[in-house]
Parts: sequence; structure tokens; C-alpha cells
Amino acid sequence: MPAPAALVTTGLSKSYRTGHIIQGRRPALQDLDLEVQRGEIFGYVGPNGSGKTTTLKLLTGLLKPDRGDARVLGEPLAARSWRFRAGYLPEHPYLYDYLTAAEYLDYAGRLFGLPASRRREKTRELLALVGLERSANVPLRRFSKGMVQRAGLAQALVNDPELVILDEPMSGLDPIGRRLVRDLILGLRRAGKTVFFSTHILSDAETLCDRVGVLRAGRLVRVGTLGELLRLDVQHMEVLVSGLAPDAPGPWARRCESVGERLRLEVDERDLGRALAAVEAAGGRILSVQPVRQTLEDYFFREMGAAAGGASAWGEG
Amino acid sequence: MTWRLALLLVLLVPAVPWSQAQIDRRAGAFRVQEEVLYLWSGTRVKRFFPGFEDVAADLYWLRTVQYFGGQRLFAANKRFELLRPLIEISTTLDPRLEMAYRYGAIFLSEPSPIGAGRPREGIEVLETGVRNLPGSWRLRQDLGFFNYLYLHDSERAAAILNEAAALPGAAFWLRTLAADLLAKGGDRAASRRMWQQMFDQAEAGIIKENARMRLQILDSLDRGDRLSRLAAEFQRQRGRLPARLDELRVAGLWNGPLVDAADVSFGYDPKTGRVFIDKASPMWRPE
Amino acid sequence: MSRLVAVAANTFRETVRERVLYNLVFFAILMTLSGLLLGQLSIRQDEKILKDIGLAAMDLFGTLIAIFIGTGLVSKEIERRSLYPLLAKPLTRGEFFLGKFAGLAFTLLVNVAVMTAGLALTLLATGRRPALALLGAVYPILLGLLLVVAFAMLFSTQTSAALAAVLTVGVVVAGRFADVVRNMREVAPDVPPWLAEGLYAVLPNFQNFDFKDKVAYGDPVPGGVLAWVTIYGVVWIAIVLCLGLVSFRSRDFQ
Repeated sequence: MPAPAALVTTGLSKSYRTGHIIQGRRPALQDLDLEVQRGEIFGYVGPNGSGKTTTLKLLTGLLKPDRGDARVLGEPLAARSWRFRAGYLPEHPYLYDYLTAAEYLDYAGRLFGLPASRRREKTRELLALVGLERSANVPLRRFSKGMVQRAGLAQALVNDPELVILDEPMSGLDPIGRRLVRDLILGLRRAGKTVFFSTHILSDAETLCDRVGVLRAGRLVRVGTLGELLRLDVQHMEVLVSGLAPDAPGPWARRCESVGERLRLEVDERDLGRALAAVEAAGGRILSVQPVRQTLEDYFFREMGAAAGGASAWGEG
Repeated sequence: MTWRLALLLVLLVPAVPWSQAQIDRRAGAFRVQEEVLYLWSGTRVKRFFPGFEDVAADLYWLRTVQYFGGQRLFAANKRFELLRPLIEISTTLDPRLEMAYRYGAIFLSEPSPIGAGRPREGIEVLETGVRNLPGSWRLRQDLGFFNYLYLHDSERAAAILNEAAALPGAAFWLRTLAADLLAKGGDRAASRRMWQQMFDQAEAGIIKENARMRLQILDSLDRGDRLSRLAAEFQRQRGRLPARLDELRVAGLWNGPLVDAADVSFGYDPKTGRVFIDKASPMWRPE
Repeated sequence: MSRLVAVAANTFRETVRERVLYNLVFFAILMTLSGLLLGQLSIRQDEKILKDIGLAAMDLFGTLIAIFIGTGLVSKEIERRSLYPLLAKPLTRGEFFLGKFAGLAFTLLVNVAVMTAGLALTLLATGRRPALALLGAVYPILLGLLLVVAFAMLFSTQTSAALAAVLTVGVVVAGRFADVVRNMREVAPDVPPWLAEGLYAVLPNFQNFDFKDKVAYGDPVPGGVLAWVTIYGVVWIAIVLCLGLVSFRSRDFQ
């Protein structure tokens, strides 16, 4: 019998009370029907306030749903048993600053009921994995934001979970840190784990995810592989040339932009050959040729438009 | 899960008053912090509370009343030795705490088990009060009353009552009462008037209750005297004293109750014909 | 159960590393030593003064520790969200809440033990023998402190640490005047009996935990009273913890 899906939600809904004197209800999540398969990396994306964190909090028990249900690793949401097999990293994690990283991981291990020897082993292993082995005995109080983030990731993996739930795992990390986390997530998938993470850094979702779920104003609007969501076929080619006057490329280039002494040409894929020939004939030098595909960002700006709050909703980190 | 907690709560809540009652039974319901005795005189206490003497006086007064108040007063093992210092501290902190003087006086003077049975101390407290509040005719009135009621000194009592009568606002009948005392050397009627005054003046509470009880004692004594006179009458009629008080009823001389104000049967000495309040009655007081 | 113990052990570690604790213990010791000084100055029994001040310091500073650390236990975790990664683990809210209580209870036990030892040593230093009866006052103080912690934790499940501290102080002060509340009709006869009785019923009577005077005078604590005081204390603590549990479990962490 095939293993059940890692995560299934049905009609999961939550609204918050707003206002002090006159209380209204603001729906944060409405009727979420989501399925995350085993062994995949699932990206959960959406603008700020779209309900991503609410979803994750509902799953981890920090909030109680108004309606709907979920099954995690085949078990009911309210059951304790699946928590032994799952790991969670909250957004902007705060770990006890009076403990050292090693002490925190040991504490987390105790909460999973791991024996002392296993805890020691895992602590060593995980601190090395997230690049904190030299800071094992430094109080978390003295950690930088990026170090705390990595320590948070480590505590999510103490119990060798089958399902890892991450809320904005890249936030607060420098490029080296982000690379580390990216590799870590890919490594988890290689080990057969399921990763469910929310982010608004679209490039991360693009490079990591097998499937993506798009959330907007509390509703799941699209789910699918990137190929399904985006038109991955090439939109146009981008050609960088030098030594050419701006009007030289003629009718082959859809657009022509000056970049310093060089020109950047937008050329339709079909016309690539002729455009290149024309450039050479005009005495220009071809520096690079690159295909341009629609990005997730383009997709969002197209789909969400101004209603999602535009560019400001997509602030980095 | 929550219903189990709710059940636990339902079981636990009544255990609170139950265990409190058990504690009270063993340790006493009116416990006062005896560290007040540290502060062994009112003047020292005063130095500890600069600027807050009135509040401190109130707190001490509250403690005093709490300690001695209510029906507890009529229970055994009361620590009256604390009463005087507590009163003293309260009145040193606030010399105008008139209530404290009167309260202290009554319960220092009343005989055991109701009070400490030390009327001289009670009178001393009133004298301090009279010194600190020379304009208070009521305190002076009480002082006069107490001299008569507890020390049986009608001359002194009359003199003080006259002083009280001279104060502004004083009741008009103080002089006549003083005159009565001097003339008759005091009688039960005078006592009754005094206790009645104190009853009328007091607010609902133990002082009023105490005065009421005193009046009931006087009623009982009056009835006892009446029955004694009837016994003498019986003797005149029949040539012998009644063997039992019942005989007065049978003889048609009396058709009222043969009990005192506390519904306790009177004692009767068939040899002398004297009717008296039974020692077991709450109305009984030593002479 | 082992998870509860894990939380308790970590909480103990947390309080021990909390600087507030040391400041308060320092002042408690200072106060006890000043008792020593006062004892020299007074003309009454200096041993009694020393015992009284030592016990009072234990009571006062223990209460302050119970309030200020107790209110932080839950509300700080909520405010800072350090709770979040923990609750996602197989740790129930009940285990977390009770584990925190157990941890601080143990801290208070250690504190009280240290201060008792300090008092005993101070007594020895003045050439007196500390009586075992002193424990008769120390034990109920400890019970009272645990009740204060329970209240502090209850309030901190719903409000900020600061407000919870204010509310707890209110309950403690009112509770120490519980006898006055019960007997208030002696001084103010116009107060309706149901009001006085009603107020008394909902307040914990902290006077029940106060045996300082008896012990300092050398009076024997009446037999059986400590057993009933224990029952009273345990029942109240259980009630407040139940309420705290209900409150904590129902909380949504937005």
C-alpha cells in the first residue's frame, strides 16, 4: 500500500477577530484544500498577509482551525503521534537566549524522548550540518540573526523528521547561508524527506520546488509544478553585442537597449539566426546569447496584479 | 480533556472552605500578627510611620477589632493582654480615635469571659481619652458611668457627669442623673438609664450588643426581685415560704414566666425566699 | 511525564541563569543580617527579632521572586515566541505549563532552603541554637510561595508579564488581608454579609500560611494545623493551576 500523502488539508479555515470595540472577523485562511506528496519539496508562496503563516500555525497546533481538517503523515491533525516524525521552523525563530546552541538542541532532543547518546550524536551532526560547530557552546544570546536562523533549522531536524515544515527558512541569511540552506533542503529530498516551506523569495521557490502552491488573500489560487504554472517555453532571446550603433540591428530586434557601450537586444527565438548574422554583417561583436523564460515573479505580477499590493508586497527577506 | 479538568475543579472548590474551617478550628479564626508587640509603645510606633499616622492608626484599630470582634469575644482563651497595648498604640497614633477609647474601656472592664475583668484599666483608658479629647462629652459621660457601674463610686461618678453636662452639646439629663446618684447613692434605675444611654448612642455592633445584654441583665434582676417580693407576700399569706417558685403560679400570685431574659430558670433559695439569677445563665454576673 | 520533567529541568536552568534571582537573594541576605544588627540595638529578645526578620525576608523576597519570575515564565515565552518551536514538538500544552510550574517550584524550594540555612547559620553565629521548629514556619511560607507562582502563571497566560505581575500583587495583598475582609463587618456593619463572605470566598487566605509569630515566640504549632494548611494550600494551588491550564490550552497564538 502506498504511503499516505505527507499532508492533506480539507476546507481548513481560520479567521481572526479584529477591532477593539466593534469586533469584526477577518478571514485569514479560507477553505484550504491542499495535498503535499511524500518526498517532494513543496513551496507555499504568497504576498504578506495572504495566510501562509496562519496555515503553518494551524498545522503545528499554535492555532485552532475554525473549520476544516487536516491529516499529517496519515494521522489526524490533533494526534500527537505525527509530531514525533515532523520538524518545524517558525518565522523569525526565537530560541532561549540563556542556552547555548548545543544545550538547546539537547533540550529539543529530550522533548522527542531521544536517549542521551543519540542526543549528543545528533547535536554534533546537526551543528556541523548548519555550519555552527564552532559556536556550539556559545550562548544563543550572542548569535547573529543568521546564526539563530541556522540553529532554528537544526532544532527542526533533531528527530530526523519525515516531514519538515519551514516558515521563511531563508530569512536573515547572507548568500552563503542561503546556499547552505538550499543545499540542506535538496539533501533532505535526496534522503526521501518531504519539505513544505513558505517563502516570499520567489527565486528560492523557483530553484527548489517540485510544486508550488500560490496563496492570495487567504485562498489557494493555483497549485502545480512550475512547468504547469509558468509558460516555461522560451519567451525571447537576449543578445548582448558591442561595437554597433543603436539603430543598426534593424527589424530583427524587438527591443534595443544601451548598456554603456554595449547594446542589449531582445530577439524573438525564431529570428535568432538572422539577427546574429545581421549583427556580424554590421560589424558588431556578439558577447552573449541567453534565453529568457517567464519567471515566477512575472507570473505573480501578471496574476496578482495591483490587487495583491504590487511590488511592495514582495519585499525581499 | 477539558471536562476532566472541569470535574477536578468542581471537586476541589468545596475543599477550600472545608479545609479553612478545619484550620480555624485548630488555630483560631482571628489570628493577629503578634509582631505588633515589638513596637512596644505607641510613641515608638509613631516614629515608624511619619506622615501616615492616621492610616496606621486605622490599621491597628482594624487589627484590634478583628482580633476581639464579634461573637468570638464570647469564646474561651482570648488574649486580653494584647488589648491594652493595641488600644494604646492606636490612640497614640491617632488620639482622636474616640471609638477606640470606648471599646477598650468596655472590654477591659467587663468581667471574664466577656472581657478582661480589669475595670481600673478600662477607666484609665477613658481617662486618657478624656485628656486627649476634652471636648467630648460622651467620653466623659462614659467615664462617669463606668465609675458608677464597675467601681460603684457614685460620688465620683456624679462629679464627672456634672463636668460632662457642662460641655457643649451634652445631653440635658446628665445633671438630673448626677443629682440622683448623689441623692440615692445609686440604684438600679440609674444603672438602667446609663446602659440605656449607651445602647441608644452606640451604632449596631458589639458595643450595642453589650449594652443590650446589660439591660437584659437588669431586666432579669428586676424580675428576680419581683419574684422575691412575691415570695415574701406568699409567706405573709400562707405563713411559710414557697418550696418552689411554681407555687407562686399555683397561688395565683404570678402568671408570668419564671425564667430570666435568657430563658434560664431562676434560682430560688426556699430558706430565705430569695430569687436570683442562676449561675449557669449567661445573664449571671459576679457582684 | 519525562517531557514534563525536561521542561521543569530547563525551567530551573532558566531561573538560575536569570539575574533577577541573585539580586533578590542578595537583598534577602542583607535583610537577615540587618536583623542581626537590630537585635543588638533592641532591649527585647534579639533572637526573636532575628528569627522574625529572617522569616520575613524569606517571605517577602520569596514572594517577589515568585511574582516576577512566575509572570515571565509563560508571558515571556508567548511575547517572544520562543514557545512556537516547542509546541510543534510532541509536547502538550499541559506538559509545558505544568513543567514550567514544577521548575520554578523547585527553584523556590532551593531558595528557601538556602535562606533557611543562612538564618540558621546567623543564629548559630550569635551563639543560639536554631530550633527545628523553625521549619514549622518555613514550610507554610514555601506553600504560600507556590500558590503565588500558580496565580502568576494563570494571569500570564492571558496578559503581558507586567500586567500579570500587577494582578498577582493585587491577589497577594488582598489575600494577606483576607481575615480583615472576612471580619470587615465588625468595623463597617453596613456591609452586607453576602459581600463580605463572597469576597472572602474567592480570595486565598494567605494568613493561613503565616506561622512566623507562633514560631518566633516559641509556641508550638497546634497539632494537625500544618496538615490542614497543606491540604488548603494544595487544593488552592490545584484550582489555580487547573484554571491556568484551561486558559493556556484555549489560547490561540496569533
